[in-house]
Amino acid sequence: MEIFLVAVLGGVLALDTTSVGQAMVSRPLVVGVLTGLVVDQPVLGATIGAILELYLLVSFPTGGSRFPEGATATVVAVASSAGASGPGVLPLAIGLGLVWGQLGGASVTLLRHTNSKIVESHIDRLHGVGWVVRRHLGAIALDFLRGSLVTISGVVLGRLALQSLSGSWPLGVPSSIGLLLVGGSVSAGIFLRDLGGFRQWRTLFVSGMALGIIGARFL
Amino acid sequence: MRMGIKPGDLTSVFMRSFLVQGSWNYHTMLGLGFAWAMLPGLRSLYQDDEDMLKESIKRHAEHFNAHPYLAGIALGASLRLEAEGAGPNTVRSFKTAVRGPLGSLGDSLVWATWLPGVSVLALALYWLGLPGSMSVLVFLLIFNAGHLGLRIWGFRVGYSEGREVGRKLQLADLSGLTTRLRGVAVLLLGLLVGALIGAQGGLASAGLLWLLLSAAGFLVGLFAGHYAWRPAAATVVVSIVLLTTWGLLR
Repeated sequence: MEIFLVAVLGGVLALDTTSVGQAMVSRPLVVGVLTGLVVDQPVLGATIGAILELYLLVSFPTGGSRFPEGATATVVAVASSAGASGPGVLPLAIGLGLVWGQLGGASVTLLRHTNSKIVESHIDRLHGVGWVVRRHLGAIALDFLRGSLVTISGVVLGRLALQSLSGSWPLGVPSSIGLLLVGGSVSAGIFLRDLGGFRQWRTLFVSGMALGIIGARFL
Repeated sequence: MRMGIKPGDLTSVFMRSFLVQGSWNYHTMLGLGFAWAMLPGLRSLYQDDEDMLKESIKRHAEHFNAHPYLAGIALGASLRLEAEGAGPNTVRSFKTAVRGPLGSLGDSLVWATWLPGVSVLALALYWLGLPGSMSVLVFLLIFNAGHLGLRIWGFRVGYSEGREVGRKLQLADLSGLTTRLRGVAVLLLGLLVGALIGAQGGLASAGLLWLLLSAAGFLVGLFAGHYAWRPAAATVVVSIVLLTTWGLLR
């Protein structure tokens, strides 16, 4: 039952990425918390979501670009962690999420090519109103199915991998988080570059950083 | 001018704009979704003429692209043009003229600034100790206040201004808004970086090695930009695989 719920969750959240609404409930931070509640791992879910959010900070669904799919990746990462234990759970879940994000992104591209073929073969004929409705809603249904399949395959494989490998992880929790934040820091650097770079904003950036360090110490 | 569109049908078109990307494809991009979203309005306009309805649906299903949050501007304005009885070529030319600006404006305002900016705020709050569920609530409320506001404003201004919508867009100065938001996003990014360093369980407690490697990673991202993302993620994944293998062999 839980795996069915997780697959439906993956499908629904995948829809939010591009097809329906785009209210950004598909962002890793949100997905991590939601999936954590479903699999009864709220703290781990939020931690995985926060780390993947940092990685995917500079990844967004612009037009035809290929982007890692954060929604299914996070559902897979969090749901795979359920039942596993040890300091290896977090890094292995994040690694799995990063890989599954790429696979999810590839499946979005595949779906879009499929939509292209269907539209291309009919575009020169006079469209009936019904055809437009069926094709459009059919494409949304297909996207839901895609998201669910990507999620369920990831969770099945991920659970096997995490349960058998998490005990072999050689680093402690602080070093594991350190390793994961090294990759996340690259995204933070990319975002600062996107915003105009360090030279343009150094005063604001450094002020924010000082506030962050002070806040982290005293809050 | 044809008969006006009923308010209920306008609302339907607006609600459908939330699903405008549902059949996104490389051939017509938003085209099919655009035609589907226009349907209630076009039915209202061409209720007695099935052929006209089919023709209008066909031309709206042609190639079109825009940022999904700003597609409502084009939807509203196209409906207005159809209601005014504008010819097919006028509607086609209008859509061709607006698709570029609506794409680039939306990408820089929403995808490159608003979304990561609010994400950074939620992440900073999380690393500063706010519970995950509260950080998510802050993220969803703030992000969607902007998101829904932009969609509602866009559709209304598109329908009320029609082909003159470009002038209204210039007055709204979305580019200026983007620049101002960038400053706020930088401050929040600094806050996040500081929180990642200083938080309990953050980089300072992970040790000097990880702090230095993270600083190096930040610089790589700053100088190499988006080219660095995939190699960085791949490096982390490979490191995890190697460490796990090493752990298994020990």
